[in-house]
Amino acid sequence: MEKKKVVLGVIGSDAHAVGNKILDYSLTNAGYEVVNIGVLSPQEDFINAAIETNADAIFVSSLYGHGEIDCKGLREKCNEAGLNDILLYVGGNIVVGKQDWDDVKKRFLDMGFDRVYPPGTAAEVGIKDLTEDLSKRG
Amino acid sequence: MNLKNKRLSDEAFFKEREEVLAGWPTGKEVDLQEAVDYLKKVPDEKNFAKALELAKRKGITLAQPRAGVPLIDKHIELLNHLSKEGGADLLPSTIDAYSRQNRYDECQVGIDESLKEGRAMMNGFPAVNHGVKGCRQVYESIDKPVQARHGTPDSRLLAEVIHAGGWTSNEGGGISYNVPYAKSVSIEKSLSDWMYCDRLVGFYAEQGIEINREPFGPLTGTLVPPSMAIVTGVIEALLAAEQGVKSITVGYGQCGNLVQDVAAIRALEELTEQYLKEYGYNDVVVTTVFHQWMGGFPEDESKAFGVISFGTATAALAGATKVIVKTPHEAIGIPTKEANAAGIKATKMVLNLLEGQRLPMSKELETEIEIIKAEVKCIMDKTFELGSGDLAVGTVKAFEAGVIDIPFAPSNYNAGKVMPARDNNGAVRYYMTGNIPFTKDIIDFNQSKLGERSEFEKRELSFQMTIDDIFAVGKGKLIGRP
Ligand code: B12
Repeated sequence: MEKKKVVLGVIGSDAHAVGNKILDYSLTNAGYEVVNIGVLSPQEDFINAAIETNADAIFVSSLYGHGEIDCKGLREKCNEAGLNDILLYVGGNIVVGKQDWDDVKKRFLDMGFDRVYPPGTAAEVGIKDLTEDLSKRG
Repeated sequence: MNLKNKRLSDEAFFKEREEVLAGWPTGKEVDLQEAVDYLKKVPDEKNFAKALELAKRKGITLAQPRAGVPLIDKHIELLNHLSKEGGADLLPSTIDAYSRQNRYDECQVGIDESLKEGRAMMNGFPAVNHGVKGCRQVYESIDKPVQARHGTPDSRLLAEVIHAGGWTSNEGGGISYNVPYAKSVSIEKSLSDWMYCDRLVGFYAEQGIEINREPFGPLTGTLVPPSMAIVTGVIEALLAAEQGVKSITVGYGQCGNLVQDVAAIRALEELTEQYLKEYGYNDVVVTTVFHQWMGGFPEDESKAFGVISFGTATAALAGATKVIVKTPHEAIGIPTKEANAAGIKATKMVLNLLEGQRLPMSKELETEIEIIKAEVKCIMDKTFELGSGDLAVGTVKAFEAGVIDIPFAPSNYNAGKVMPARDNNGAVRYYMTGNIPFTKDIIDFNQSKLGERSEFEKRELSFQMTIDDIFAVGKGKLIGRP
């Protein structure tokens, strides 16, 4: 069976590299083909990488707090680019400061993300969800 | 390569300066002569360099938080809270991450959104956008020295604005604010841009104004072995001194083994002074800064206070001039002013209790200092050799060759072949040495230390060990045992 592809990157002006390297390692070990665009990646780079590789999902990381500004409009841009039902996950420290998680989660779901993860989520949690979501899609 | 480790000529500096100031409209507000007059009026107790020098003489450790919010009035409120309620000895202004990439138009969006939403939408204070006027407003509203803390590969305009704004210290350097913070900025470019920042400080020094510079010791904050951190500090100190900087604070981020950390601070100070003397810089005041644990923190706030207090104890026992303070919110997000003040209070309490105490010399401490110095020497010698004696050229080539190689750095200009892991006592060792030209003795020492852990844990040395170590402190332990 062909490996499922995941575009992985850290969005905006964010340079946090450690989680990105570990997600890459864990996704690869779990049998996914990882297209890692690395840190400091604008929305366009995620979309271009997804189109070029015909990816099944995009894993967006945002650690540094600007996630709300940086992620705005990503779903719309994906749709415009023809990536209509691509799975969009986001995780890290996605907002500024310690905020009510349910509220934060809702804001990102409203932006069009399929799954939203709180700080310190283990890579395995995201991978398990991804495997489930993809198998539902067949 | 145009780069040379040589003081920029006035002609070159002022020519470059025109271009720098044109980078954003607030650049026009910087008038060097007027700034000299303004800075001459800074009283000693609000001068960063002088405060550090005094602390060094007294043998005490000062506490400094990190803090920055997008709007000026909120930022002033924050700093005053940290000074008055928290008891901070030195104040920061942490610059937001758009400014760090010189994206000043995006900063404007962040400022506008913060106003609109009524909460901070950015992770710091956009000093360039607020300009000299905004920086002076901050400086004039607080009672302690203030420093810009950031992570900006090209900080030239920022340096112009903050110093003219009365801020008497700038953190960063051509290695330490590039390799952990950028992906595609060449070492040559960032070294050259930081020479400009250093030259600006050198220019002020010639006018009788003391401004402090601080290389960012922790780098990626992720299991960076002491010798790698110290090499970057020594190099940045030498490059700064060449441009005329007279007050340098070299830094190091806590690794977690008490003896290794104390050894690192002692080696850092001794080596920096020794290299500066050897290369003819005899009038530089060297101070040290110890950063409380820079890796992933535990989410539980009480546990976070444990980490904070342990780091403080190490800083005090090592005799660092300054300690950079973390907060109980570290694992989650930018702290509130209350959480930030709480971190400072815990820190100050421990500093007060340990005032005057030092970790006495022991066989173990001596061994650690020796091994760190031997490792640093291998890397420094090769770096000078690669540059045929020129340290700036040598540094560029040392990165190319992987002689200097910083673990977990995002930069494409970093080889990324070095892998660290903790030994059985939690000290950080080189597991894979990549292309670092260590002697066989040094490699054997590192391997044998790691071998003890591997035997104890009954598992092979592997990348999994490093990963376990990365998560360990967050999960409540120093070493990532299976
Ligand atoms: C190490 C570190 C740094 C290092 C980074 C070195 C590097 N280049 O990587 C240095 C010191 C350079 C640094 C700099 C900064 N940092 Co920092 N940093 C940290 C720290 C301490 C640990 C991050 C880390 O590496 N963790 C280990 C990795 C393995 O975990 P992780 O990154 O969380 O990723 C895991 C999970 O979150 C998850 N995950 C991540 N993304 C996704 C996505 C999906 C889809 C899924 C399923 C899972 C997932 O999987 C990963 C593996 O388990 C955190 C705080 C903490 N966590 O304790 C702050 C932190 C992330 N930093 C922060 C900030 C603000 C900054 C700075 C802007 C400086 C500042 N203003 O204070 C600069 C950033 C500059 C820039 N342009 O990006 C803030 C963010 C605040 C916020 N969101 O409100 C934090 C939370 C600290 C704080 N409380 O203030 N930092």
